[in-house]
Amino acid sequence: MINEPLVEEGIANTTSSRNSNRGLQYMRLLVKDPAAIIGLVIVFVFLGWAVVQGFLELLYGQSGPAVALLPHNPFTYNLQINLHPPDHSYIFGTNTYGEDILSRMLYAMPRDAFISVLVVLSGVLIGGLIGVISGYRGKLTDDIAMRVTDAFLSLPALILVIAISVLLGETLTGLILALVVVWWPIYARFFRAETLKIKNLDYVQASKLNKVSFFRLFFKYLFINSIDPVIAYAALDFGNVILTYSTLAFLGIGLEPPIPELGSMASSGVGTLPTGWWYAIFPGLAILIIVIGFVLVGDRMQDIISNRINY
Amino acid sequence: MDARSITFVIRRAIYAVFTLFILVVLIFSLIHIIAPNPIALAKIYSGSPHATRSQLLPIIKEYGLDLPVYLQVLDYMKLVFTGNFGIDPIKDQPVIHLIAIYLPRTLEFVLTGIILSVIIGLFTGAYAASKRRKPADSTVKGIYLATWAMPSFLLAAVFQLFIAYDLKLLPPVHMVNPTLSTPPDVLAFPLLNALWAHDWTYAISLIHHMVLPTITVAVISFGVITRLTRSTMLDVMETDYFRLTLMKGIGRRKAIYGVALRNAAIPLVTYIVLALAYSMAGAVVIEDIFSYHGIGYYIVQAVYNLDYTALLGTTIIIALAIIIANLIADVLYGVLDPRVRLE
Repeated sequence: MINEPLVEEGIANTTSSRNSNRGLQYMRLLVKDPAAIIGLVIVFVFLGWAVVQGFLELLYGQSGPAVALLPHNPFTYNLQINLHPPDHSYIFGTNTYGEDILSRMLYAMPRDAFISVLVVLSGVLIGGLIGVISGYRGKLTDDIAMRVTDAFLSLPALILVIAISVLLGETLTGLILALVVVWWPIYARFFRAETLKIKNLDYVQASKLNKVSFFRLFFKYLFINSIDPVIAYAALDFGNVILTYSTLAFLGIGLEPPIPELGSMASSGVGTLPTGWWYAIFPGLAILIIVIGFVLVGDRMQDIISNRINY
Repeated sequence: MDARSITFVIRRAIYAVFTLFILVVLIFSLIHIIAPNPIALAKIYSGSPHATRSQLLPIIKEYGLDLPVYLQVLDYMKLVFTGNFGIDPIKDQPVIHLIAIYLPRTLEFVLTGIILSVIIGLFTGAYAASKRRKPADSTVKGIYLATWAMPSFLLAAVFQLFIAYDLKLLPPVHMVNPTLSTPPDVLAFPLLNALWAHDWTYAISLIHHMVLPTITVAVISFGVITRLTRSTMLDVMETDYFRLTLMKGIGRRKAIYGVALRNAAIPLVTYIVLALAYSMAGAVVIEDIFSYHGIGYYIVQAVYNLDYTALLGTTIIIALAIIIANLIADVLYGVLDPRVRLE
């Protein structure tokens, strides 16, 4: 019994140092691929903009510094220049009310970033908790949890999110809640599969013999050591959330007028086709580019995790 | 089929029923979490949040909303499994009838789109695998990654703008030329109805209006099939029997597209269902843009009108469609690849 803390410290040290080494190694492999570098640049520019502009919007709302970084004020009506085609002053043109489309897109982006990070993180946490417990306990717990994930995964996420968010009253909070409710099952699957692989390994058994608390066992051993494939999938999943969210905005769910949203801009833009093509196309292109960024990074990460590249 | 195959099919069927059962319970409990008392529930069923108390009382009686929860679950189950999703308060018709009208219209172009996407996916995947690590491989990968990241409304809007409005090749909106009279409804699917009635102008008009939605579905969903075909093709090309085929002197092209592709295509059966689920979701937006009056249009209308009865009905029916498709795929996979049955 005397060396019990030592044993545990030793295990903890080796796992943590190995993790950081691995992280560096992944990064090095990641930047070897030119496509992944493009992806990383898109993701960092998008997230960087979201942090800066997001803070300004949070502090100042819709006026003053919150619109200072944008080329025009996104909320100024000017019916004289409605549906103004793209030129050097209005790079992406104006919409039916004469509002600058580029400014409105830039104003809308922090929300997409915030929602995708929130939904994926909560998906990882909830899915991690349920997946690890179901893989670790096995038997009936496992059966029930897996049938429930089956039920969720049998439907396209978008349709379930529409149904739930309409039940919750088509508000932004309701929409985020609906996304969170629908997004965890796939992560529960990942965590369960990994937990099944590692739960009988010596270090987990040793920690069990040491009577480690469940909380510690969960976070320090099972959750952290199952996270590799999850991270690769999550990188791709940020893009999926943005796609789903903008599709919902396209359908008019979770909007808070007058705050613009990429999907709802595209939706109003479709109404102005064929004359106001820039109104529908540019917000859609912005979503495409952002999601491509996440897809390129996530795809490369999945290749690395599954050893499909030459070291 | 031997005894083992039959037990395999039965086990899969039981799983499928169980999955649907859990989904219905989930949706039921969601409604009850959102609306914890009979009055709030009745508001959901009536379809209008501002209904008065006297309007709500008959609804409470009709749906038995003041009964204990376990009885309500059983009632709800009974309703769902007999196909009774209630009356659509806006169109004043049973939801199941409306779904029976709208769903075939959607399946018509979604299934055609899936078939197209499977063909595109198989050949691009095989091509990418045969050119592994060459520029052609990366090009294929770049294209399908871009279609993955593509919001379906962008693609639909671009097609509508360029092909329909600019080039005027195809009609931009609607399901059929509205001046034509509809042939009698015999076979549920509008196209089959038109063919049954030998109404060729109607059928041609339908096909013209179907092309753009179909291509949109095919383009947004072929990526997953390309990716899987490429990886299974690479596995097959490592096997001894494929090497033997090459050694026998069969041309490389014939070996890849004749021998390897045929073997690599088996696991795809399950992924076609995934593509189907994905396209059903995509169809919601695609139909909205092309004003194509299918199930997606019905869902969008329900969203605008806060029509819960319609939404829950369509959600369960789509889930049922996908669960059945999954079951068929599982069974088919078991038939095509006997190893699966042994699990």
